Amino acid sequence: MNTLQKNMCLEVKSASEEAINQDSVLNDVELAHVSLTLSGKHILKNISFALPNRGITSLIGPSGAGKSSLLRCLTLLCDHWQGDISIQGSSIRRWSGGEDHLRRHIGLIAQKPSVFPTSIYENVIFGLSRKERGKDQSICIEASLRMAALWDEVHDRLHTPANNLSIGQQQRLCLARALILKPKVLLLDEPTASLDPRSKQLIEISLHDLAKDMPLLCVTHDLEQAQRLQGQVIFMCDGKIIEKATAKDFFQHPSRIESREFLRWSVCDCG
Amino acid sequence: MKMMLILLALPAFILPFSCLIYIIVQAWPALSWALILPTDVTIPPLGDAFSGVASSGLWNQIGGSLLMMFLACLLATPIALSIALFHSLWATVYQKRILLSLLQVLQGIPPIVYGLCGLILLVHYLNWGISLAAGGVILAVVILPLLSMNAIHALERIPIEHTESAKALGLSHGAVIGRVWLPAAWPGMLTGLLLAMARSLSETAPILFTATVFSGITWPDSIFSPVTSLQTHIFYLAQEGSNAQSVHIAWASAVVLLGLILCFSLSAHFLRRYEGSV
Repeated sequence: MNTLQKNMCLEVKSASEEAINQDSVLNDVELAHVSLTLSGKHILKNISFALPNRGITSLIGPSGAGKSSLLRCLTLLCDHWQGDISIQGSSIRRWSGGEDHLRRHIGLIAQKPSVFPTSIYENVIFGLSRKERGKDQSICIEASLRMAALWDEVHDRLHTPANNLSIGQQQRLCLARALILKPKVLLLDEPTASLDPRSKQLIEISLHDLAKDMPLLCVTHDLEQAQRLQGQVIFMCDGKIIEKATAKDFFQHPSRIESREFLRWSVCDCG
Repeated sequence: MKMMLILLALPAFILPFSCLIYIIVQAWPALSWALILPTDVTIPPLGDAFSGVASSGLWNQIGGSLLMMFLACLLATPIALSIALFHSLWATVYQKRILLSLLQVLQGIPPIVYGLCGLILLVHYLNWGISLAAGGVILAVVILPLLSMNAIHALERIPIEHTESAKALGLSHGAVIGRVWLPAAWPGMLTGLLLAMARSLSETAPILFTATVFSGITWPDSIFSPVTSLQTHIFYLAQEGSNAQSVHIAWASAVVLLGLILCFSLSAHFLRRYEGSV
């Protein structure tokens, strides 16, 4: 955690921070027997895994494997799933404060950056409630933008429209917008899919820094990126977890035949 | 082939302009500021029934039409907004289908039928009498489908990513509506409101039965008093076809009414262009 972030944490006592302090021993995200069926189709089949307290977990697999649906279940944007998902030992279905409160603790970065048609400044503080906005707001904004590797590019034009930013900058703005809420876990759905190599690199550097303090779950189709992100890899296919290993083991010695096939062709044939 | 299509499409361009020119030419002898502004104009006697009308220009008629239009919009806008929000937030696919079908059916009902319903229900059954209130309520029902459809379409145009991003940031339903949906949808909703205003100004049949009288009325004393309006004024004057002066005034009233409707329609048009550019 850098100095600025520490200052931010010390100076701004938001409701979400107090909640973190209450039970800071547990910091796991656990999924137990999560299944999802939509319109008669089994999207997720008995998914169970736990994210480590910190570090990056890459979720890879072919299109239609259920990776993005899993992220939607984790944020309760999709609530038709069975099983249990808990964060720090509390089931997200029985989260005190309800689903809106829960989502403040889970940062979600979508594949396509979605900035609101307002200024960069307003975009960053969009998730903060009136109570949380105060005189220390500028420090929080700077800290979030620095963590998202965007501060140097936008610090002199914070009040200009966010729509004028490039796609890569918009994606980093979305990251800053999520980080200002100090999430317990960060979920990323192909965050660099539509970005140029430079933006991709900047985001990966940010993710590495963030992963020192919190768990990150990153859906990606880019196998090279999964290798670069290191951490652990979960390979999903047809709604099931096929293999879970460290990035090094998975890419060098995949244990399952489906994994080997996927790595060879980047196409899964689970039939 | 191209030439034939151009020839077939030509009436669409020629007819509105030729109609407009014809109306202005017919109205020209009676057109003056004195006819519109609240000053007395001297009009030759038109017979007993028309004596009250001739004494003052179209000021009261314009006022009556605008009063009913504002009342109708005041009543219909919150209901239309609620319908649109229900459609976008909570309605299932099946409920959405039913809701849209009902709105289309409501839009297809002839306005005179609404007028008849208003006459029976509001004027006689509820004993409101011929009144501004009855006219406003019936006009609100007439414009409700148009307003609702526009509000629904304005909300549907908001990118789903914006809604999901806002939800992912922990914003409540209320905050998503207030901070994401309404700021993004207001140009579309305002366009719908302007079109609904134009529509309510162009409706004659519903208020003919429920709200307006021709003579003896200047400005309504209360919401339960009858009013005069431009639309019905034209209707009554046109019936007096033997009197050339009254016919000219009818055409002049039509020009004023068209002017008002064009104001709202063109505002809606420019707002839609602005909406497209945002």
